[in-house]
Parts: sequence; structure tokens; C-alpha cells
Amino acid sequence: MTTRRFIVEPRGLASPQLTLLVPVASVIAALVVGGVFLLLTGENPLSVYAKMVDAAFGSSRGVSETLISATPLILTGVAAAVAFKMLVWNIGAEGQFLMGAVFAAGVAIWLGDGAPPAVALPIMIIAGGLGGAVWAAGSAIPRVYMGTNEIITTLMLNFIALNFMNYLIFGSGSPWRDPAVSTFPQGRPVPEGARLPEFFNRLDIGIFVAIALAAVAWYLIGKTRWGFAVRIVGDSAETAHYSGIGVNQKILSVFLLSGAFAGFAGGLFVSGPVGALDPRSLDLGLGFTGIIVAALARLNPLAVIPVAVLMGALNNAGPSLQSIGVPTATVTMLQGAILIFAVAGEFFIGNRLRRPDRASSPVPEGAEAA
Amino acid sequence: MADPASSDTLAVELRNVDKAFYGVKANDHVSFRLARGEVHALLGENGAGKSTLCSILAGLYRPDAGEMLFEGEPATFKSPKDALAAGVGMVYQHFRLVPNLTVAENFALGHPDIGLRIDQKELHRSAEELGEKYGLPVDPAARIWQLSVGEQQRVEILKLLYRNAKILILDEPTAVLTPQESQALFKTMRQMAQEGRSVIFVSHKLHEVKQVSDQVTVLRGGKTVGGVATADAEPKDLARMMVGRDLELPVRDAQTDYGPVVLSVDGIRVPGDRGLEAVRGVTFELRAGEVIGIAGVSGNGQRELAYGLVGLRTPTGGTVTLEGVDVTTSSVLDHIHKGFSYVPQNRLGMGLAPGLTTEENLALKAFRRHPFSKGRRLVASAFRDEGARQIEQYDIRGVRPGLPIRLLSGGNLQKALVAREVELEPKVLIARSPTRGLDVGATEAVRNQVLAQRSRGAGVLLISEDLDELLALADRILVLYEGEVVGEMPTEEATAERLGLLMAGQRDEARS
Repeated sequence: MTTRRFIVEPRGLASPQLTLLVPVASVIAALVVGGVFLLLTGENPLSVYAKMVDAAFGSSRGVSETLISATPLILTGVAAAVAFKMLVWNIGAEGQFLMGAVFAAGVAIWLGDGAPPAVALPIMIIAGGLGGAVWAAGSAIPRVYMGTNEIITTLMLNFIALNFMNYLIFGSGSPWRDPAVSTFPQGRPVPEGARLPEFFNRLDIGIFVAIALAAVAWYLIGKTRWGFAVRIVGDSAETAHYSGIGVNQKILSVFLLSGAFAGFAGGLFVSGPVGALDPRSLDLGLGFTGIIVAALARLNPLAVIPVAVLMGALNNAGPSLQSIGVPTATVTMLQGAILIFAVAGEFFIGNRLRRPDRASSPVPEGAEAA
Repeated sequence: MADPASSDTLAVELRNVDKAFYGVKANDHVSFRLARGEVHALLGENGAGKSTLCSILAGLYRPDAGEMLFEGEPATFKSPKDALAAGVGMVYQHFRLVPNLTVAENFALGHPDIGLRIDQKELHRSAEELGEKYGLPVDPAARIWQLSVGEQQRVEILKLLYRNAKILILDEPTAVLTPQESQALFKTMRQMAQEGRSVIFVSHKLHEVKQVSDQVTVLRGGKTVGGVATADAEPKDLARMMVGRDLELPVRDAQTDYGPVVLSVDGIRVPGDRGLEAVRGVTFELRAGEVIGIAGVSGNGQRELAYGLVGLRTPTGGTVTLEGVDVTTSSVLDHIHKGFSYVPQNRLGMGLAPGLTTEENLALKAFRRHPFSKGRRLVASAFRDEGARQIEQYDIRGVRPGLPIRLLSGGNLQKALVAREVELEPKVLIARSPTRGLDVGATEAVRNQVLAQRSRGAGVLLISEDLDELLALADRILVLYEGEVVGEMPTEEATAERLGLLMAGQRDEARS
């Protein structure tokens, strides 16, 4: 009787294989679409992709640079994941990352050359987290107490953070600015004692800090009383209120935690590969890329780690494309396409298509019929 | 009454209709014959397929297989618009009205003969005329949100009459009405039938079906169990056809031996959503081992009363005392810890976290304490073991590891919700319409839990629009009207008529 070719129906429970398959398929689909564009511009997609793989993983230097790129993405990815899981739409990881960098660099410069690494490094990273949390508070407090839309406030605060950083370096004689260089303003290098030790080419131990922090986020959300309350709030604020959970306080704490993770990334970046509050090295959209990472990792803080490595590889491969005459922006386009496919793929985790006449696989017993 | 056998008097006929959702057959070879000029009751439990059948007739769903004959001709409705054009209209349980528009403007919505320009005068006149003719008075200039639920239902029916529907499908229309309003509706239904229209009346209340219908079709588990002339059917037989077994819902035993007062409510006032006072000075005392029923038409302060008692909304006046301790302004968490359990009406919206698993939902309130947490850490094994025990003990079906609870059926959702609340061993259990929309099996289970709490010595406040339920479970019934208690009586002295008058706002002369 019906003429529809396919029926869309909700899937009871997605299998673990499927939840893994969808992100992988999203990446492949994005590569295919990217390939079409490359073809249209007269490039051979396969050789471009081969060049990218080679740049990202083909040498020990490539691998270490990929992991350097991945380190901040792990943390901005976690920042987005914990917030989004609770329906807190913090898209301000970018600004929180930059403010983390400002705080961390400031503390390191203030501590000066005398502080030993064992003191300077933890303080610096914590200062980074604090900077991110403070910046997030600027959106979190109005959201919780006045009901403002955090999408707008976090987005706007990104621009303020960026321009604040630019002001510190380009517009003022602040302590963050390097007094030794007068020709073109740049950030004052942090003291040697505030630099993370490198162990594999330029790769520093920041990667381990990032992984450890991601694990902490996973533990907090999944294994603690606090995390359970947070998950209830994220599922239904009304239900959380009904079960005696302080909803506002939970939203506030998750928002600040999210900001802190983005800030940690800023702290690690300054004490790691950059070594100064250098706008040109920091303004890379790492906070925004974190959103893609979180979406592709389906908001799981542990899955964020491999996804961040993938995104780091793409970032790292970008510049190498210029040597074969392909614009670096290709990478940005691929990242955007991956996000679109990952979000669209969510639909197939929650639903399935089937032919109307074929019997569908059984649903959970007791599922509502109408 | 028309002769149902003769095909030229048939308004509509369904033959062997199938409709499946997610692989579950909601309608399985259903056949249904509706004659012109009859009131045809569609009887069945929840999930029996009544709503699906109606939705197929109304063009909302298309059947997977089977035939539909409309006035003897094969017909396919592609949409409700198609169905309405052919003269089939439905009043859904959740009304399809635009709250910010007037009654007349709602008449105009989607009307094929009304274009961009609306003749308000003409609309108002028709609305008034129709209302008068069918005993459905309504102010055409009123905005929908200003109307009571009963009035909104009248607008829905008038809307269909305005479109001159020949077949009117009313999906559980009496669920939101007082007994008196129901009687008025039945009169309208009879009148429409006399004019040659056909009315499909969906219900699971046997006495209503017996009173108003000419013909009954019973559905069970998606299949047609049988069709009989109402006059030939005894309520007991219909019940058996509907449930598939003899049916005895639990009823309280007479008990006069109550414990001390556990909950004392004195002149409590609670604001409503729009800031106006929704509960205006309610006073009562609830004793251990007692069930107090709160009757009333929905929207008379029931929700706010419950919120005020469990801390979800702070009362602006009066006091609430639990065993001598003032809890009027205590937080929700305090209320939980002090021994309040609450079964809200909105299961998935408030009582359960829809995306979490059944096990997690069973720990939704107790997770802060042993055995679910150890210090600040959750104990995964406790979630698993306690969950398994409660799922078994309370017969919650359909649970699979990792499955979000929202995928369970309504009955199982409510069993889980009630299980969690009674596991807290409350001193006071407050339940709002706890069996609304449940099938007979789940209703039985939930009622038994309520009565078990009463025997255990908890005070129970049962807030419900279902008078049969109140009469079966409550020791004492209070009637709430516009935020005030307008009548109070021991259940022995309560009748549906007396309660109905009070629910409609008539003060009880007998109240001392």
C-alpha cells in the first residue's frame, strides 16, 4: 500500500561496533568529498592524501609534530565534550585557551628565572586552567543566574580574549611583550625553568599531562557521585531538580571545568612548543577544532585522545601541501566536512533505515507500540 | 440504530489492516465496520491498538497492509487533510489547537474555503450557532489558552462540525472531564448520531461505553477480539474480552486504625506558573496508614499542591509539618532525606532521566548514599546488583544492559519509578495520577504498591482525576477546586455524582 522506499525508525540501542563505525565512516565520507574538490582543482586526491599521511606519520619528526599538534586538541576536545554532554554549549574554548595562555605566561614571567621547574611547571599549568575557568565564568554566571544564551556570550568572549592578547603584545608595553625585540613586537620568552622537557624531537611531556587530564575528566564524569549528578542534569534538568540535585550549581561547575580544560591547553602550549605568549603561534583556532574533536569522539573524554591525534595529523599535514601547490586551507575544509558528517552520522546511531516490506529486527521487549 | 450488516449503510470499513511500529504490530489484521448514524465504542487497554486504528482512519498513519472502504469505495487517505476532506475528523487526546488564537481563528485554520481574508463576523456567527445547536457553548472571541480543558475539547468538536465531518473520532474524550461534563458530551454524541453522523468513541471505561454506544468493538494486543451490539453485552463480558481474563483490580480493605499524624498541612499557599496563586490555603492532616485522595479536574492546583509539599516550589504562606518538624521551606533534597517520596504525573519529563539506564534511574535519589556510593565515588557493582534486585522484585520488563529507560513501555516506566520511590521507605508518599495511561497489569502493580505503603504505615496522598481509582484506594477524599478544598468526606460517603458537583465548583452543603 505504501510507496515509500525506506522507513526511518528509531533504533533501540546502538551496538558498540556501530558507534565506532559511524565516526570512521564520517572521516572517510569527508575524505571522499574533499577528494572531489581536489579533482575539480586538477589535483590527484590520492597523491595529495598520500602526501598528507607521509607528512603526518612518515617520519619521526612528522610523528612528533603530529603529537605536538594533538596535545592542545585533546584538552580543548575534552573541554567541549564535558560541556556538551551537559547541554552547556560552551563554544568559547578558543577564548578560554587564549586566556589560559595569558595567565600561564604571566605567572611564568612573574616567577622569573629563579623558580625550579618542579615549582614553576605545575603553577603554570594550574594558572592556565584558572585563566580558562575565569574566562568561562564570564559566560557561566550570566547563564546560570540570568538565563543568557551561552552560545552568544562564549563566542563573543572569544574575540575579546583574542584582542586582549593582541593588545598585550602589539598594543602595550606589558610584561608579556618581549622588550629585547623592538622591530616586530612578540611575546617575552618564558624562563627556561618554565619550559616542559622535550623527549622525542620537539615533543614535550605535555602530551602525557593532556592524556592524564582527559582520563581525569572521564573518571569525574563516569565514576563519581558528582559526575552522576552531572549526567542527570545533562539528561533532564527537571528530573535533576526533582531528585534533589542543585542544577545551577552543577551547570556552573561543569562550565568552569570546561573552561579550565581549555585553559590547561593554553598553559601547556605556552610552556611547551611556543614558549611565549606569541599571538601568531596561538591564534590557530585550536579551541574551535576541539569542538570537531569532541563531536567526532561522541563526547567521550577518552575517545577524544585518538581523535585529537587524527586532527593533529591533519593540522600538521597542512603546510606540507603547499610544497605541491595545494592550499593549506584544504585541511580546514576537510575538518569542516568531517564535522558535518560526524553530526549527520549521529542520526544513524539513533535511527535506522529499512525497506518497508522486509521484516525488521526485533526491538526491546516492552517497547511502546504506538 | 442502523443495521451493521448492510454494506450501503456502512460509513467506513477496515479489512485486515496491519500497522507496525519498530517491528511491533500495533494493528494486526484488524477489521472494523462503522455504520452511519451510530455511536461506536472502541474498547481496549493501553497499547491494544485503539489509537493506531483511529489514526489510520483519520489519515495520520497509512496501513502497511489491508483495505479501507469509505462509503463502500476503496479509499486511501494520504494525510489528515485528505481524511477531513472526505469527512473524517478526529479529536486527539492532546488537542490540536493554537493557544494564542481565538476560537473562531482556530476554526479558520486549514479550512479549504477560507483563504487569506478571514470574515471574522461570519466565523463568530457560525461558531455560536453550532455551539447552540449541539449544546457546546463556547465564546468565539476567547483565546484558546483562556479556556478550560473541557471547553477546548468543545472547540475541537465544533471545529469538526464546522467542517461538516460525517465521521467523528473522539479519542478518550472523557479522561479530562468531570462526570457531569461527560454526561453533556454524551448527549451531544447522541445528537450527532441522530443526524446520521457516525461517532467513534474510544474509552476503557465500561460504564460509559455501556451508556452511550450502540455498538462495541474490542481490541486486545492489536487484534480485534470481537464486535457486539452494546445492548447485548454485559460489562463483565466486555471486561473479559478487553483483558483476556477475569479482572479484579486491588481495592483497599476497610481500616479505621490509623497511626499518628505524619503530615500536617495548614493553610498552604503555592504560586502557579504565571505567578498567580494556584493553591489558596489548603489544610489537612494525613495519618500513618491512611490514603487521602485529592479529587479535582486537572488544573485546579493539584500540581502546585504536590510541588509545594515536596519542596519543588516554596509555599508563599501556611506551614507544612512532618512529624512535628516544619519543612515548609526545606529544599527538595531535605524533603527526600526526611522521608518524602513523590511520584510525579510526568514520568519521563520529571520522574525519570530518559537517557539514563533503568539501573541508574533506580538510583536517581539514593545514589548519594551507601551502597551506591562510597565517599565521593560511585560503586558500580551496587548499581548493577541493586538494579537487578529491584527489576526482578518489581517485575520491570524489557530492561537490557545500557538501554535508555525511555525505550521501556509506559507500564514498565511507572513500575520503575514507583519502585524507586517506595524503596526509599517514605513516611509520606505523594502520587499524582499514578496509573494514568497504564494497562491493567501495570495498574494492578502500581495500586498494590500504593496499598503496600499504606499497610507499611506511610501516609499516602493520592492526587488523581480518576474517580474510580480514588474510590478504590482512598480512605478519605478531598476535592480541590481553584486551589481550595471545597469538599471533604470519608470514601464511604462519596459518590461520583457528589464528587462531580464539587469538582465543578459547587460547594458541598453537607460540609460542616
